[in-house]
Amino acid sequence: MPDARRSLARWARSPVVVAAGAVALTAGVAGVLLALGGYDPWAAASAAAVGAFGSPEAVLSITAVRAVPLVLTGLGVTLAFRAGTWNIGAEGQLYAGAVAGVWVGLVGGGLPGWVLVPVLLGAACVGGALWASVPILMKLRLGVSEVITSLLMSFVAINLAAYMVHGPLQEPRGVFPQTAPIAEAARLPALVPGTRLHVGALIALALAAALWWFLRETRFGFQVRAVGASRTAAAVAGRIDADRVMLFAFLTSGALAGLAGGVQVAGVTYALYEGLSPGWGYTAIAVALLAGLHPLGVLVTGLLFGALDAGAAAMQREAAVPAVWATAVQALVILAVLALGRAQRHLRAEVVRV
Amino acid sequence: MTRVLARLERIERRFGAVQALASADLEVRAGEVHAVLGENGAGKSTLLGVLGGMLRPDAGAYAIGGEPVNLDGPRDAWARGIGLVHQHFMLVPALTVLENLALGRRQHTRGLSIDYGRVAAEVSTLMDETGLVVPLDERVEGLSVGVKQRVEILKTLLRAPVLVALDEPTAALAPAEIVSLFGLLRQLASAGRGVVLVAHKIDEVLGVADRVTVLRRGRTVLSEPRDRVDATRLVKAMVGGEPPSAALVGAARAPGFPDGPPDRPRGPVIATLEDVVVRDESGRASLDHASLAVHRGEIVGVAGIEGSGQRELALVLAGRRRPDGGEASVPSGVGFVPQDRTAEALIGDFDLVENVALAMHADARVASGARMRWAAAREQAEDVRSRFGVVSPDVDVPARELSGGNQQRLVVGREMLLAKDLLVAENPARGLDVSATAFVHAELRRVTREEGGPGVLLVSNDLDEALALSDRLFVMTRGRLVPVPEGQRTREGVGALMLGGAGASGAPDANA
Repeated sequence: MPDARRSLARWARSPVVVAAGAVALTAGVAGVLLALGGYDPWAAASAAAVGAFGSPEAVLSITAVRAVPLVLTGLGVTLAFRAGTWNIGAEGQLYAGAVAGVWVGLVGGGLPGWVLVPVLLGAACVGGALWASVPILMKLRLGVSEVITSLLMSFVAINLAAYMVHGPLQEPRGVFPQTAPIAEAARLPALVPGTRLHVGALIALALAAALWWFLRETRFGFQVRAVGASRTAAAVAGRIDADRVMLFAFLTSGALAGLAGGVQVAGVTYALYEGLSPGWGYTAIAVALLAGLHPLGVLVTGLLFGALDAGAAAMQREAAVPAVWATAVQALVILAVLALGRAQRHLRAEVVRV
Repeated sequence: MTRVLARLERIERRFGAVQALASADLEVRAGEVHAVLGENGAGKSTLLGVLGGMLRPDAGAYAIGGEPVNLDGPRDAWARGIGLVHQHFMLVPALTVLENLALGRRQHTRGLSIDYGRVAAEVSTLMDETGLVVPLDERVEGLSVGVKQRVEILKTLLRAPVLVALDEPTAALAPAEIVSLFGLLRQLASAGRGVVLVAHKIDEVLGVADRVTVLRRGRTVLSEPRDRVDATRLVKAMVGGEPPSAALVGAARAPGFPDGPPDRPRGPVIATLEDVVVRDESGRASLDHASLAVHRGEIVGVAGIEGSGQRELALVLAGRRRPDGGEASVPSGVGFVPQDRTAEALIGDFDLVENVALAMHADARVASGARMRWAAAREQAEDVRSRFGVVSPDVDVPARELSGGNQQRLVVGREMLLAKDLLVAENPARGLDVSATAFVHAELRRVTREEGGPGVLLVSNDLDEALALSDRLFVMTRGRLVPVPEGQRTREGVGALMLGGAGASGAPDANA
C-alpha cells in the first residue's frame, strides 16, 4: 500500500502529467469558448491541426520554424528560473540580440560565412547577456527585484530596436522602417532543402540537450539547481557562492534569448523590423513552465506553442476564426498550467499526508 | 493589599509536540515591577503571548481586573489595558518615528488623513512625563537599537495601558541605556501601572523588580517578593535540581562510551581563533574578541543563552563566515551541522543522493573536476543511510519526506563524512526524540575517540547536553567566550555564568 501511494505521489509530481492536463483542460475550455463565439469548434480544431501538422511542409516550414525562437527563449527562461532568478525580460533580450546580430550581418559583408555566422550569433548572445546584466546586477548589488527591472528593460529594448530601424540602421532608401537585408554570407543555411527550416533548429536542439546535460551532470549545473531550490541551504550546507551562480545563470539566460533574436534575423527575416517578435520572450515563460523547467521538455512545449501559432493562422484562413483566439488559447494554457501546478502540489501534500 | 491587574492560573499551551507551558501562574499587581525569569525554552515568551492576547491558552484561567476573560487577539488585550512591548521591533523602517507612532491611532484621523499635529502634541507630553526622548522626524531605519526600543515603548505607552509587559528589553541595550530603562519602569510602577519584565539576567532583575516569578519547563516554580529571594535561590529555581534528562542518561550509558572526559591526551590543535570579532549589521560585536584552540579528539562545548554570539562562533569555525577582526585558522575537512536543518542543512525537494552531494560537491568522492559523479554520490548516500540508520525506503525520496529525526541522522552522517578535521555542531539534538538524541550524542563521542578523529565544537542551549558531552566547556555571554572552571561544572555554576550574573560559588561577573 505505501508503495502504491508513493508511486501515485511520483506520478502526480511528473511534469508530463501537468503538461498533458493543461493541454486537455485548455482544449476543452477553448472549444466551449469557440462554440459560444458562434464558430464550429471541430472545424476550427481540424483547420488548426492541418495548418500545424497537416503536411511535412506545414510541420517543417511553419510549426518548426516558429518553435525555434520559442525553444531558445524557453531554454533561457528555464535556466534563470532553475537558479531561482526570475527573468521576465527574455523579450527585451531577444531584441537586444537581434539588434546586435543584424548590425554584424550588415557590416560584415566581406567576410566568409563560416566566420560571419558565428560572429553574428555570438554578437546576439552578447547583446542579450548585456541586456540581462542590468536587472541581475541591480538585484545582486542593490536588492532591486529582477522581476520588475527585467520586464521594464524589455520596453527599452523594443523601442531601441524601433529607433534603430527608423534611424541609424534604416534601409538605405529610408522608406521602410526596417534594416537592409543582411549579407548573404551571414544567413543561416537551410536544414531541409526546399523548406524554410534553417540550421537554427539544430542549434536549438543541441542547446536543449546541452542545458539538460549541464544541469544534470556538471558540478556547476548542480550548484544552479541547489541555489534555485534553496539559497540558504546552498550557501550554508553547500558553501556555494549563490550570487555568482545567479549572475551566471541570468547572463546565460539573457544570452540564450539574445541568440533567439540573432537566429531569427539570420535564419528567417534576414532583416530587423519593428514587431520582429510577436511576444516570444513572454510566451517563453509559459513554454518553460509548461515544460516543468526541464530543458528537453522545452523542446516539446516550444513545438506545441509553435503549432498553436501555426494552427491559429490556419484557423483564421480556413475557419474564419480571428487570430486573437490563438492568443487567448495561449493565455488559457498558461492559466491551466498555473492552476494544475497548484492542484498538483495540493495533491502531493494530500498523498504524503494519507 | 494592592489591586491585582491580571492573573494567569495553571496556563497550558502546546506547540505541536512541544509543551511550552505546562502549568504557569502569574499575578501582576498595580504599582509593581514584576520580573519573569527562566532559562531558554522555559516558556517566558509564550506566557507573555498569552498575557497579550496573541496566543490562546489550551487550558487555564485568565482574569483581568478580577474579571475572567477569553481574549480574542491582541486588539482585545489592548482594549483591556494590556500593552506589550515586543522583543523584535514591530516598526516600519521606512517611516519616521512620528509616522510609526501615529500608526493604528484611529482616533487621530480626520477623514482619511492623519492629524500628525495632535499625535506630535501627545507624544511630546508623554516624552516630558517619562523622559523618553526620541527624534520624531527621523526615519526608524537610521536609529540605533536603543532608540528604536524607546520608540517601541512610547508606542505602547501612547495607548495608556494599565499593564505594560516587556519581552527581554535589555537584550540589545548598552549598560547606560539599561539603567535609564529601569528608571522608567520604576516610574511607571510608581504611577500605579503594573510592569511585567521578562529577562534572563538575574543581577539586573534584582535591582529593579518588586516581585519575581521563575518559570522552568513551562511551570511556575517560584513567585516571591524581591526581598525574600537572592541570586542563589533564583538560579536554583531556574535550572532546577533534577537529574539530567533521560535522553542524556541514555547516551551516557550507551555501551563503550565511558562517562566524562577521555583519560588519554588530546590530539594536536586543528583550529584556532585569535581575538576574532564578528559584527552584526548595526556594528555591534556579536562575537567579541574570542580566542579558542580546538584539538583533535576533544569535544569543546559552548553553552549560553541564544543570541550571545555562539552562532557567529560556529559560523566562523565552520568556515561559513569571515571574521571582521582577528585571525581564524580553520582546516579544510570541516563538517557543519547547522542549527536549522530544514532551512540550512537540507533541500527538501532534493532526494537523499542530491542532499549528500550538496555538502560534498567539492569533494573528490562525489565530483571529479567539473563533472558530478552521481554513481559515487549514490554510494555515499547509501553509506550514510545504512551507517547512520536513516529510515527511508531508498535514497531517491525527497528529504522533506523524512521525519525530523531521520533528517538529522542524514545531516549528521553526511557532515561526519566531511569532518576529517573538525565538526561544528549547533544544537545537534534540538527537536529530536530520545533515541535520536542518544544516537547523535553517541556519534559525537565515537568520532572524537577514533584514532586521528576530528575535534568537535558543540554549541548547545541545553545545559545537560553541554555538561555531559564536553571535554572542555565554555559559556558565551554577550559575545565573550568564558571558560567554565572545573569546580563550576554543575548546572547551577554554568547556569549562573550563562546568565552573566553572580555565580552560585560567588564567581566574578564574566561580563565585567
